[in-house]
This record gives sequence, C-alpha cells and structure tokens, in this order.
Amino acid sequence: MKILHFFITRIFLKRWTLVLGMIILLFLANYLSFTAARSIISTFQGYQEIETLNQEGTFIANLDPNSEADFDRIEIDDTKKVYEYLNKNYTYAMQVDGFVTSLYNKYKMEVSFNYINEEAYKINQFRLSQGNHLNFNYKFNKEEIPVLVGAGLATTYPVGSYIEITDPVTQQLVNLKVQGVLEKNTHRSNFYAPNSKNYFNFSIFLPINEEFIQSAGLDLLVNGLMDMVLLDSTKEKATNLSELIQENLGLKFNFFNQQENFNYFEDSYFDSLKIICIITFILLLIIVCLAIWNTLVSIRLMIKDFTINLLVGLSYSKLRAIFYSYFGILFSINLVILFVITAFNRYGFWLKKDSIFATYGMFGLISMDWIALLIVLFIDLIIGFTIVELTIKKIKSIPISVGVLK
Amino acid sequence: MNSIIKLEIQKKTFKKKGFSILNDFKLEVEPGERLCIIGESGVGKTSLLNIIGLLDTQYQGSYKLFGSSVKDLSRNKLAEWRNQKIGFVLQESALINSLTIEDNIKLPLMYANIEKDLTVQDHFKRIVNKIGIEPILKKKPLDCSGGQRSRAAFARAVIMNPQIILSDEPTASLDLENKEKIINLLFDMNKEFNTTVITVTHDLDVANRHERIITLERNE
Repeated sequence: MKILHFFITRIFLKRWTLVLGMIILLFLANYLSFTAARSIISTFQGYQEIETLNQEGTFIANLDPNSEADFDRIEIDDTKKVYEYLNKNYTYAMQVDGFVTSLYNKYKMEVSFNYINEEAYKINQFRLSQGNHLNFNYKFNKEEIPVLVGAGLATTYPVGSYIEITDPVTQQLVNLKVQGVLEKNTHRSNFYAPNSKNYFNFSIFLPINEEFIQSAGLDLLVNGLMDMVLLDSTKEKATNLSELIQENLGLKFNFFNQQENFNYFEDSYFDSLKIICIITFILLLIIVCLAIWNTLVSIRLMIKDFTINLLVGLSYSKLRAIFYSYFGILFSINLVILFVITAFNRYGFWLKKDSIFATYGMFGLISMDWIALLIVLFIDLIIGFTIVELTIKKIKSIPISVGVLK
Repeated sequence: MNSIIKLEIQKKTFKKKGFSILNDFKLEVEPGERLCIIGESGVGKTSLLNIIGLLDTQYQGSYKLFGSSVKDLSRNKLAEWRNQKIGFVLQESALINSLTIEDNIKLPLMYANIEKDLTVQDHFKRIVNKIGIEPILKKKPLDCSGGQRSRAAFARAVIMNPQIILSDEPTASLDLENKEKIINLLFDMNKEFNTTVITVTHDLDVANRHERIITLERNE
C-alpha cells in the first residue's frame, strides 16, 4: 500500500498529463462499452417482449410509411364503422397511450392515460405490486371505472381511492376507482424500435370495452388502429380489414404476420446490433491501442525512475501488483464517473417531469444500467490485463542495468 | 577465507548485437576486499557489475553469492538481496528528480519496510552527517550541485549497511575535491564495516587506491 501510494503520488502523478490522458481514454472505452451494452440489452429485452406476438394468426397493424395520410379528412362515423366491423369479425388487442393530463400527484409529474382492451391486457401480463387486476365488464357512464395506477401514483392514489377527472378521449367526467398498482418500472417496448421504452410509473391504465370505444373520440379510435394486433386471424382477413380502413379513412395499413415481423426484426435489429457491436469493437480496439501507446510513452519517460527502484529493492512481481492496482484505481474512477452520469441522466427525467422515462432503481439506476455496468467492469478487466501485461513485458525487455542511468 | 563472490562465466551473449563478452571469466572476491575493474569501453565492465549486482541472470556459467547459487534464487529474493545486501554507488544522475534528496536516500528503507524504525532513523542521521548533506535533504536533485548529488547517491547506497558496494564510475564528472570525498567515503565504509567494495572506473588514480585491480580485455 505504501509502495503503491509512493508510485502514484511520486512517480505517476508527476507526469499528470499522461495520467489524465489515460483516464480520458479509459473513460471513452467505458462509455462506449456502456452505451453499446445498454442498447443491446434494451433491444434484446424489447425483442423478447415482442416475440410473444410472433404467433401463427397474429398480425400487427402498421401505417404504411409511404402512404399520404390526411388525418383532417377522417370522420368519426367512418372510424366507428371500422370498429363495428372489427368487433364483429376479429379478436384484436388494442393499447393506446400518450394522452397526458394534469392530475395532482406527490411528484408533480404529468400523468398519462393508457387505454387498453382485454386482449392487449392479457398479452402484456402486467405484474401488480398491490390490489387486483383489471376487469373489463363495467358499464361505462353508469359505474365507476376500475383502473391501475403506476408505482409513482400509488401514494397519492392508493388502492381503493377514487379519481374524478374529465377523460381526455371521451371528454366526459368519469369516476375512476384504483383497483391495483403496477410494479415499479412496468414498461412497454416500441414494436418497431425495441430499444425504446415507455415506463408506466406515472400512468393510469384504463380498461376499454366496446361500450367505451363507442363513446370515444376520434383521437383514441385513430390512434388505436396504429399498433393494433389482430389475433387468431388470417392474411386474407387482415387484407380485408386493411381495404376497409383504406376505403373509410383513406389510410393505408400494412398487417405484418409472424414471418414478416420476424424478417423485419432480423433485417432491422439484428443487423443494427451487429453494426453496433462491430463499431464498438473497432473503436474499443483503437482506444485500447492508444491507451497502450500512452502507457509505453510513460514507461519510456519513467524508465530511469523504474530502474532506480528496481536497483534498490523493487521486484517485477511488486511492480506488476503496482500496475494492476494503479489501473484498478483508474478504472474505478471511470466507473464512478459513469455511474454518476447515468444516475444523473435518470434523475434528470424526474427533474424535467418527463413521466414516461422516470424510473425507480437502486441509486437511480435500473436493472439494465447495472447489467451494462457489470459488462463494462468485465471489459475493463480484459483491458487492464492487456495493458498491464504488455507494460510489464516492455519493462522486462529493457534490461535493468546500471548502464541505463549513465 | 571463504569467498563472498564466486563467479564463473562461460560467456555472456548479446543475441541482438551478435557478440559475446566475459568469455571464460572467473572471479572470486573475499569479504572486505577492495577490488577495481578497469578496461576499455565495451569490454563488459558494466555488464559484469550487473551480474554481480543480481540485475542480470542471463549468462552461461555459475555464480555463488554468500554461498548461495544465484540461479536458484527467486526474482523476489534477488530484489530482497539487492535491497539489503548490495549497495549501488552510481553517477550523480542516478537519483529520482521528482523526489527530495531525503526521499531518494530513504527509498531502500521503504522497500525493506523499516523507514519508521528508530534505530534506522538514527542511522540515517549519522550517514547524512558523515556525508555532509544535511542542508540539502529537502531539496530536489536538480536544485543541487553535481558533487552534492553524488554524495546523495552514495548515501542511498549505504543506508542499508550493505555487505557489498558496487560502484560504477562513481567519480565521473566530478571535480577533484568531490572526487576525493566520494572515494574517502567509499573506503571509510570498507574500513568501518568491512564492506566489500567493487569499483568500475576509467580513472587510474582511483583504481590504484584499491587492493586489487582486474583488467578486462576484449575477446578475440
């Protein structure tokens, strides 16, 4: 410990620019590995969620990006015709979120309404921390509506409490009864960008049934079509629905089946993951080479100091231990910086009242952050081992000789 | 008397440079002996000092130091012996410039983990007084004169009371007065503690003050 302290304060830090350069290089390597690892974990998690939809007879609606949609021309009656047809001929999962309302809560966050039908609710299999699951057979406008609230709303609106509010999609005053609380960090990944997630800590899940849909406004009905999932259907039936929507609303929808979805994810996400991995690996390699070069420059500048120490009693095994400890300290500094930045980013969503990204976690970090940090730690061990062993090899290749000091 | 050093080198080869030195070289040194090694540049004087000082173990031959075969010693043991049994008196430049003179002198004490020992601290004061470098202890080497730096390097070599002192051109680049001081210090140690002194030098005046002189010659 004393020798390590001596080397750090009296030898390494005397050339602080090289130490700073090394910290910056290692931080770049850490940050790069962290963002790549987290992106891969997030994509993989999203992919696993969406995998449940990759079943025979399942078709996901998607507004054709090449179609020229004119939403102003869409009439509510035409939309209702589409839903009447849907209700009569299809089993479908519908989940619409993003309807923000200002409902008082302890954290002063915006609250988002999330409308979900029974099929979508079954698919999502949300886990509750308190209370009971939703029931969908209530009488709209006659009974209170059972809802689930996100974990962030649980203290302000505990199970059994009531919320009276003007519903954003029906514009009617509704009485909501809190039936359950979602587990912390309940989320959903975007169907078409699995690494992107919406968190439901400040959401209210409102069950929708046919009666509710009949009373809903244009916003919910049109948005509901966007990511609608047809279940137990056929390609022919999906095509029929697509034609009906085009005829009534002027919107061209594609319905992707299991294989098409799978191919889409293969093309878009596995390839992009491969590209992320390759680019990260190349950049890491460049950074590690620069770090090794930085170390070798340091060794060249400090060779006289090392030789004197070796003359008076330092051994190679002690020197190796010193280098491992030194790099251990540098990596720890970087991991702490990375941790602080990540925690601050997560906390930033709370400060900005960005409710769909506000999350709960140990010291502000959620599970994927911790896993990514562990991966970074593992990569650091490999980088550290490479640099230290190459450094020791380099020092050993320079004969310790009194001649070096002449 | 038993030899403290018993060295038999068949050859020391420099593969990259493609030549060998110290072919069939033999050396025995008694405890307390004052030995000087001379010879023209490139004959292997410093290499011999590296071998005797346990810095170089890559040669063909055998070497017994204090009765133990050096090839059987671990790297850690070699480092420990360099710390405790051998002192290197080098040129004035052999100091770490970022450390004070005091820290430079105390460096071997840190590796032996005895720097806080009271008797060691007394010993340190005695050495510093004897060598006359008390006023410069808090200075950095670059703030001292060449003679002061040489004496500081000498203090570091003897702080552990080594049994052998190896000195490589200890008086090079010193004026007459400082040269005299260093040689006197070296021989005082020899007389006072029966320390074996092995010196490499080009200076015949310095060489002649040793008991035995070995002249290394270039191999044909």
